[in-house]
Amino acid sequence: MNIVKQLMAIPGVIAAGEFAFRGDRFSYEGALTDEFARMASILCRANTLAINMQTEIVDSFAEGCGCRPVQGWIAHGNLITICVVGNYFAFIENRNELLNDVMTIMRAKVGDIRDDLLANLYSKIGGDTKEALY
Amino acid sequence: MNLDKMMDLPGAMAAFTFTDKGDLQTHVLREGTELTPQVLDLLAHSCVANLAIANMEARGWESVTGQGGFQPLKGFSVVGLEWSVVVNGNCGVVVRNRDADYEAAFNALQAA
Repeated sequence: MNIVKQLMAIPGVIAAGEFAFRGDRFSYEGALTDEFARMASILCRANTLAINMQTEIVDSFAEGCGCRPVQGWIAHGNLITICVVGNYFAFIENRNELLNDVMTIMRAKVGDIRDDLLANLYSKIGGDTKEALY
Repeated sequence: MNLDKMMDLPGAMAAFTFTDKGDLQTHVLREGTELTPQVLDLLAHSCVANLAIANMEARGWESVTGQGGFQPLKGFSVVGLEWSVVVNGNCGVVVRNRDADYEAAFNALQAA
């Protein structure tokens, strides 16, 4: 079973999907329209790229401090939380222990993101990894 | 703000407060950690930026989609390879990933 289907099987997960680091390709399941899933994918990609840039700066001041490469991020809303690990996202309800469970599952299933994060993740969706990514 | 209480969170390596502009105000570092006040200052600046961006996105998302539940934003976390920084308001905590309890961290920051 793929990661998105596994996430959607968890009660309280509203939607989950996979986004590309280039182009507009995305896939999703759950309570989103195609257009909203496209917007969510762009939002997640933009934040992921920005956070990668930030941690490169932090790492330049303290090399090997443990921040790089970025594994993901969490935006904790009032009732809904967005979890991103690698190029997977999940919109989840704020329920007891759900955030920790979802993050544990996403980290375990996606695996540690290593260096060349963008190239590796892009190659997974069939992109040209030789092409400049920025 | 009781940073010592933040340091009781599972896996806590550092706790800190920062100004609205992101300048580091106060901090506590666990002995032996690789983190420095300079790193915390950079993290604080990025945290302010990320919270502002996430707030903007939450407002925009709710307005465009009609889907509620994102506002008010109650925190943001960046998950690094070995540790995560969790922030809300003007306070943040760095927790080791293998011990991290994100819900406890967000709740502690909410209560702070």
